[in-house]
Amino acid sequence: MGKIVRVDMTARKVTVEEVPEKYRLLGGRALTSQVVHDEVPPTCHPLGPHNKLVIAPGLLSGTPAPSSGRLSVGGKSPLTGGIKEANAGGISSQKLANLGIRAVVVEGRPQDGGWYLLRLSPEGAELLPADDLAGKGTYEVTKICRERFGDKVGVITIGPAGEMMLSAAGVTNNDPEGNSSRYAGRGGLGAVMGSKRLKAIVVDSPSLFNAPLKEPERFKAAAKRFADILHQHPVTGQGLPAYGTNVLMNIINEAGTLPTRNFRFGRFDKAAEVSGEKLAEVAVARGGLATHACHPGCVMRCSNVYPLPDGRVCAPIEYETAWAFGPNLEIGDLDVIGELNYLCNDLGLDTIETGVTLGVLMEAGVIPFGDGEAAIRLLKEVYQGTPMGRIVGSGAAAAGRIFGVTRVPVVKGQGLPAYDPRACKGNGVTYATSPMGADHTAGYAVTANILKVGGYVDPLKPEGQVELSRNLQIATAFIDSTGLCLFVAFAVLDNPEGLPTILEMINAQYGTSLTVEDAMEMGKRVLKAEREFNLWAGFTRADDRLPEFFTYEPLPPHNTVFDVPGEELDRVFDF
Amino acid sequence: MRVEVRLFGGLEKFVKDVRFGEGFPVDLPEGGRVAELLDRLGIPPSQVFSVLINGRHASLADVLREGDRVALFPPLGGG
Repeated sequence: MGKIVRVDMTARKVTVEEVPEKYRLLGGRALTSQVVHDEVPPTCHPLGPHNKLVIAPGLLSGTPAPSSGRLSVGGKSPLTGGIKEANAGGISSQKLANLGIRAVVVEGRPQDGGWYLLRLSPEGAELLPADDLAGKGTYEVTKICRERFGDKVGVITIGPAGEMMLSAAGVTNNDPEGNSSRYAGRGGLGAVMGSKRLKAIVVDSPSLFNAPLKEPERFKAAAKRFADILHQHPVTGQGLPAYGTNVLMNIINEAGTLPTRNFRFGRFDKAAEVSGEKLAEVAVARGGLATHACHPGCVMRCSNVYPLPDGRVCAPIEYETAWAFGPNLEIGDLDVIGELNYLCNDLGLDTIETGVTLGVLMEAGVIPFGDGEAAIRLLKEVYQGTPMGRIVGSGAAAAGRIFGVTRVPVVKGQGLPAYDPRACKGNGVTYATSPMGADHTAGYAVTANILKVGGYVDPLKPEGQVELSRNLQIATAFIDSTGLCLFVAFAVLDNPEGLPTILEMINAQYGTSLTVEDAMEMGKRVLKAEREFNLWAGFTRADDRLPEFFTYEPLPPHNTVFDVPGEELDRVFDF
Repeated sequence: MRVEVRLFGGLEKFVKDVRFGEGFPVDLPEGGRVAELLDRLGIPPSQVFSVLINGRHASLADVLREGDRVALFPPLGGG
């Protein structure tokens, strides 16, 4: 049945409960969002004692289902003020599931000024003092924990940014090699973990694939079929394994929707220099890897290992990060991008939010566009917690307010990712309406808009985008609840056997008879719970809009503006 | 007529001395289609997943015009 580990940081007491019946068939995002909806007062201060940090593996995590090791982290976001689920790869999700843990709920706040570490192992759960880890970057914390508790452990941790409770702080965990670079990055949940004075969670499980299965043979057949579906699709079988996510750089650039110079232009003349093709070339030449799995059992292996010139390793550089520190800042040098990425990983900062924030600071003239050295210098100030460092770590909306910038690309206070909403309008609808704030993964319309996966909807026209985003948001809320990597969607959208095969795995694992319709109902329930939380937290339809400048400033080269009418945006959740 | 071509994601390996993302000119007869361009470059159509002409999606049957910016991609995804 599984258990919920409840960590009361006020009393510094850990209790283990059986999963209640109402949560039995919830995992990942469905579980984190439902617990936050049920237990966190929507009007609470995100860094106060009444917010909770909820960590959950997906329904299929810890089984032999391919690419099923995603981890959901939830809470009330200090960045958006609304509900948040941030999703990470890495090895911790599979390990939690193999310990029989369906969720870890961290609540309260200690008054003693100390720092703590939660250790989860087959022997149970214990809270240990961790003052010696305070102030340290995530790479060092992970290294120390692997030395102390064994080199196979998963380490969920925060960096100095999380300790300082900065709004762009993420929660990280490690890949199989011990790189603390797999982030539940978005929305400032690292600050929530910091507010609880919890520096790290060590997940020590001897197994990775032994979560209980009601019908093992049936499960095995379905998992095999699902692996075949992923292998057969050109994107999940060939595209992602060859160059990883950063292969997107060039097609997004060619399509004229690559946000450049803080969303001023849709193309960057040095895009190829920071693309996946270039990354693969440099990484391999320096003894790194062009393809790598962020967790065991992934068949898509879209990650990479990029050695920096001085020998430190940034693993991986993802597309979103390459964009945030590259075209967005007019930086055309992968080594500079890798350095900024590494610093964010170590500081415990979301790379998208930090890149968007630096773009706003460049817009304000604090440092010049294209100046990589200045960007590195500014980011390093976060370690010292200088006033400027704290601004860099507090997100684009705060930076924009402080410096009087009107071109601030955020929705619900969260920075826009790597697709301009004026030339990829389906994603614009998702940015505007997702309960998460501007989030590309919440309804990744790039599929039908640019990649011609799951049909085709012209990215430059407003027609059809609301329906596209709605369907993707529903399906994504379900996928995010299974622990499957969202990238399985590339294959699932094109193969009618995809979703039924996912359901077959879930049914074989839990002894249920869920249908595809039930899965879509689950997706809708997740979105409804999230929307309800946000409603009570004070959000209105005015929060479901893009920043004004996207509606009047045309984006070259297509010279389009975002013109999906507000009343249509209000219909995204009509279901 | 002359078009400007860019190859990505390994397709550049079909053309001698061309790097990914580097625009190069190709001369085609008036009314030439994308399929003829692939033929001229020696790129098997089965390897091409997306064609963009001036940043808009196109098909192998589309007719090219003088000065068009043509980008060819294998299957790709990410996010």
